[in-house]
Amino acid sequence: MMLRRLRTSISQKIMLLVLVTTASALLLSAAGLVMYDLRAYERQWTADLNLQAEILARASAPALSFDDRKTAEKDLSLIRVRPEVLAAAIYTEHGRLFATYVKQGEPPQSFPLRPEVDGHRIEGDEIVIFRRVVENGEPLGTVYMRARYLPWARLLDYLAILGVVMLASLALSSLVFGWLQRGVTAPILEVARVAREVMTRRDYGLRARKTSEDEIGELVDAFNGMLAELGRRAEALREADRRKDEFLATLAHELRNPLAPLRNAVEILRTPEAAPDMRNRALDMMERQLRQMVRLVDDLLDVSRITTGKLAVRRAVFDLREAARDAIETVRPFIDSRRHELEVRMSEEPLAVDGDRARLGQVLGNLLHNAAKYTEPGGRITLAVGREGPDAVVRVRDTGIGLDERSLASIFDMFVQVDRSLTRSQAGLGVGLTLARRLVALHDGTITAYSEGLGRGSEFIVRLPLASASGLPEVPTTNVTAARNDRPRRILLADDNVDFATSLAAVLERSGHEVRVAHDGAEALRAVENFRPEFAFLDIGMPKVHGYELARRLRDNPQTADCVLVAVTGWGQEDDRRRAREAGFDRHLVKPVDPVDIESIVAGA
Amino acid sequence: MNCTPVRWLAALLLATASSFAQAQAAEAVSESSVKAAFLYKFAGYVEWPRTDFHGPEAPFVIGVMRDDAVAAELQKLVPGRSVNGHPVVVRRMKPGEALRDLHILLIGGDDPDRAAIRSAQQQGVLVVTESPLGLAAGGAINFMVVDERVGFEVSVEAAQRSGHRISSRLLAVARRVVQRGE
Repeated sequence: MMLRRLRTSISQKIMLLVLVTTASALLLSAAGLVMYDLRAYERQWTADLNLQAEILARASAPALSFDDRKTAEKDLSLIRVRPEVLAAAIYTEHGRLFATYVKQGEPPQSFPLRPEVDGHRIEGDEIVIFRRVVENGEPLGTVYMRARYLPWARLLDYLAILGVVMLASLALSSLVFGWLQRGVTAPILEVARVAREVMTRRDYGLRARKTSEDEIGELVDAFNGMLAELGRRAEALREADRRKDEFLATLAHELRNPLAPLRNAVEILRTPEAAPDMRNRALDMMERQLRQMVRLVDDLLDVSRITTGKLAVRRAVFDLREAARDAIETVRPFIDSRRHELEVRMSEEPLAVDGDRARLGQVLGNLLHNAAKYTEPGGRITLAVGREGPDAVVRVRDTGIGLDERSLASIFDMFVQVDRSLTRSQAGLGVGLTLARRLVALHDGTITAYSEGLGRGSEFIVRLPLASASGLPEVPTTNVTAARNDRPRRILLADDNVDFATSLAAVLERSGHEVRVAHDGAEALRAVENFRPEFAFLDIGMPKVHGYELARRLRDNPQTADCVLVAVTGWGQEDDRRRAREAGFDRHLVKPVDPVDIESIVAGA
Repeated sequence: MNCTPVRWLAALLLATASSFAQAQAAEAVSESSVKAAFLYKFAGYVEWPRTDFHGPEAPFVIGVMRDDAVAAELQKLVPGRSVNGHPVVVRRMKPGEALRDLHILLIGGDDPDRAAIRSAQQQGVLVVTESPLGLAAGGAINFMVVDERVGFEVSVEAAQRSGHRISSRLLAVARRVVQRGE
């Protein structure tokens, strides 16, 4: 029980430490003191007795000289003032007993028959001294003395004193410890208690009481600070969790939303008596809803890349105005549908930026899309692209719902949406601005939001460092169409998604190409036997023979060695691209594939 | 060879006779030798004026008058002995002889010669007597025999008259100490 408490309680440990330290220090110093004193006692006592014997020798010299026993005995009897001396005697020059003394109360003593040489020796608890009597250089006799020698009695005295001192100092230590307990251990125990309570109740609002301004106080402060930080983090985790839940709900809703109009459109197309303009409207609607869904899924993929930190940009020097034009072109239909007025102020000179044109176009498109979305129909949107000092700056201003201060602080956080009252069809996922900020940061730029308040519109500003204009390619855009080669090609499509493969084949065949479709690797290998495709679009995750293996076999086959091999995968990481290159692929497309990309590969080869 | 028993008997008789004589002599000599030893030892308990010596090699002289036995014992005793570094010399004195250079003078006899004592004292000689009237006659130290043991008595005043101070340690073992003359 005692041992258990020693193990667990810090105060008991300190108590033990204090007591052991005090006791051992006392014992050590006492041992040293006693040893020194016993030595000193022996030295002093023998010196004292020697002096006594010397005095006695001198005093008894005349008595010995003149053979006066009475005087000698009188001299000897003076020793009675030293009660430690038990017996004494004087011997003549010839070694015969001359005079004796025995302490009163002591039994009759037997004296040595003959005196010994000068010196002292210790016999048990007695000390014996012989001292020659010499006068005028002539030996006259010997003085003999026997006295008590009791170092052990002295030692016992010491032990008694030590015991008392020990008790007193231990009591003092206990007092000191009591003070220590109040000043040091009690606050620490308080911290431990609060820590335990926090662990059991999960209540990060608890705080330890601070009682002093010393290091212990600092410890308590630090502990409380850590509790506060823990509480903040737990809250942040809960908030992130809540946002994720909201995001999932929104996502499900967003993905479900286009499906109803799509099904309706399919029903219309299936109806034979539907009027042609009705069919066209249905097709337009289908395309719009599809584009919306593709955008959603693209955003989702980007989110996953952000969270795994694998969002990559492919850099090249280009004119930022082109990215702005791309963005306008993409968002224009949406702006028009909301009857906004779009004012564009484009810089006259080119703005060379080292970066990913598609990604930056995505950022600007995002900002324009947001501006259109968060502005009541019939609003005004301004896009300004220009140069400010060493930066290329794009400003997107709207006359929309604006932002309050709190929203300005959190607008770039993941899954945050300002206006929850928006109709769901306009809501989006709340990842656009997060994505935009991350992409701009990857280009060493900044993106900031300003608003004068709710209902007073907002402005987003993107700043990107300018690169030297010399790297700009010379007006390359016009050449693309000129380089097009529209002659029919032999194309192999291999994908286990039958719908995707069949529909893509239909599109390509309409463009005049000859297309073969395979739904697994083995079928694809059989298909190339007498087909000799010029292009092969191969899914990687196919049954029987997967894409990498298929590519290697096609490269090894002399008939298809020159074929352009394009990998079509759901994985766009750098590692996947490397593996595709190693397997022999020429290009790499990430699902979902836009038929336009395939057309351009076939045309531009 | 035939006369051996006779000679053996003679030797025995002779030995017996000589041991008897020795015992008698020891009895007789004992008192004198003790006195001689005391006489020499007195020197150690007396302060001698420096003027008594003519240099470090000068002898310490003990004169003996009218006691040949003690003089003989002393002469046996003193060779090789010294007082304060001065070799001890014994001189037999006749009455009326000059007392120059003496340090201690033993005047024997039951009837001390008062004139000799006074003369010795005037010349700074410590006078020792061996008579019951010794101190009364002016001696500084007087031998006495009580219960067949030799003792002595001291007159501090007499010693002072001859210019000597007797050590209190000697006084402690004296049978009798007289502070003032009698």
